[in-house]
Amino acid sequence: MKNITFLTGYYGSGKSELAINLAIKERVDYVVDLDIMNPYFRTREQEEFLKTYEIETISSDLDYKAHIDMPYISKRVFIPFHDESKRAIYDLGGNDSGAKLLRQFEDYNDVDIDLYIVINVYRQESDNSEKIIELIDKIEGVGGFKVTGLINNSNLLRETTLEDILYGETIIKEVSNKTKLPIVYTAVWENIYADNLVFQGEVLKLKLYFRKNWL
Amino acid sequence: MAKVLMKGNEAIALAAIKGGVDAFYGYPITPQNEVPEYLSKHLLDAGKVFLQAESEVSAINMVYGAAGAGKRVMTSSSSPGIALKQEGISYIAGAELPCLIVSVMRGGPGLGSIQPSQGDYYQATRGGGNGDYHLIVFAPESIQETIDVIKESFDIADYYRNPVMVLVDGLIGQMMESVDFDRPVKERFLPEKDWATTGTKNHPGRRNVANSLYLDPQALEQHNIHLNEKYKLIKKNETRFELINFDNPEYIIVAYGTMARIARSAIEMLKKEGIEVSMIRPISLFPYPEIAFDKIPENVKGILTCELSMGQMLDDVLIANNGRHKVGFFGRAGGMLPDPEEIVDAIKNFNERVVK
Repeated sequence: MKNITFLTGYYGSGKSELAINLAIKERVDYVVDLDIMNPYFRTREQEEFLKTYEIETISSDLDYKAHIDMPYISKRVFIPFHDESKRAIYDLGGNDSGAKLLRQFEDYNDVDIDLYIVINVYRQESDNSEKIIELIDKIEGVGGFKVTGLINNSNLLRETTLEDILYGETIIKEVSNKTKLPIVYTAVWENIYADNLVFQGEVLKLKLYFRKNWL
Repeated sequence: MAKVLMKGNEAIALAAIKGGVDAFYGYPITPQNEVPEYLSKHLLDAGKVFLQAESEVSAINMVYGAAGAGKRVMTSSSSPGIALKQEGISYIAGAELPCLIVSVMRGGPGLGSIQPSQGDYYQATRGGGNGDYHLIVFAPESIQETIDVIKESFDIADYYRNPVMVLVDGLIGQMMESVDFDRPVKERFLPEKDWATTGTKNHPGRRNVANSLYLDPQALEQHNIHLNEKYKLIKKNETRFELINFDNPEYIIVAYGTMARIARSAIEMLKKEGIEVSMIRPISLFPYPEIAFDKIPENVKGILTCELSMGQMLDDVLIANNGRHKVGFFGRAGGMLPDPEEIVDAIKNFNERVVK
């Protein structure tokens, strides 16, 4: 993971949960919420929680920013690009529409960044390799940055089994073979996680921060 | 189609397609925007009609027209948008036309907020439109239940020639669950729509008219009596509820939708402390499951109504209870969701919660 890492992917693929988990694991300095599409479950809701890990959240400067759906983000989103000692995870909104926000970083294309695409094959729009590759093409075309890695986040929430993750891996491996992009992480929920699991890329133990325990 | 992971609003849209929707007319509003977004892509792909109208008022009148032509039609909106649609909804109910109205509730009154709420219980069950009419209102608690009820709702609407409203809060619209779209739907005998305004080819000399205007008071009263008979039949046939943990309870909780989900956790927590609490979970809000209250044992200490509003369903609980037990109330509003602990606390201090 480079100092600046963007997470993109199909809408509802689990980008924000992954962003929080990766941020805590990697002890980054900033989480940057670029989601201007969703009204609920955005990383900005976790601002206070992330502070306990000394992670700063950059999103909107508007009052009540967690409770409004305004297409507005703070100019502070550029800060991580100006300080090489800092590490940041950028959480984009879903699909190529969400990836449009990458365009504002065009002037920084000399900075070596990672752009990971989060994939859940149990989402209808990314349930085969053709659809996933089409989405990668769209995101790269709209965003102006190249995707550098794939994240297998295939899950059915509480019902997920290790076989489900493995099925996701077979599809994402096809994508990897065709695009030559590596699978950098495989996400596994903490309730089925074990230390000896072997999947493509690094196995990331996932804790759900957005989902209430009664859901 | 195997299990998939879906957002509530997307699931509403796909379930409507599975239920045979021919046309959608709507206007955007948070937190239900994924419904039209999904349909704008997939309904057109299927060769059906998707139309974003210039306003909610237009949208509901387009629903009126297309339903009159015998098609399976729907609209969806959220609280203030549903408020704008009320005139058209009353007309559709008056003209006895079938359609599906999806209401994804947010905080109110007025513009309120975009966070989840159940503040539109009155709007859904009492009607914001004029006259003696009722919608058939279902309030599912999960995305799976939402799918199942939406798939069936076009049949129910056609069968009774009455609008069906599916009422969820913003959380159900926005959250994700793994779901199955292939669960079977109850088979119903659906007569031909010989009332549809599709020309006179099949009935020369008789012109069908979709209308709610009756200038002759005797005729209008007959129409009101007819509608009332229909609502009685709906009450007999379509009342739905779930009884949870109904085994020698000390207290009863009554809750629907998201609040029922929170209450389920509270009931588990109370059980661990040795306090047995049951839940009546209304699934149909009209007809309200009054008969469920007849199953409450005589010795319970009280009924706690839990809502994401300030005491609306409480009225129906008081009517259904009919003075038999003490009734208390616990509510959060404005987009605030309680933790199960707050309900646990309300049960433990029930006497402070008693309304009547």
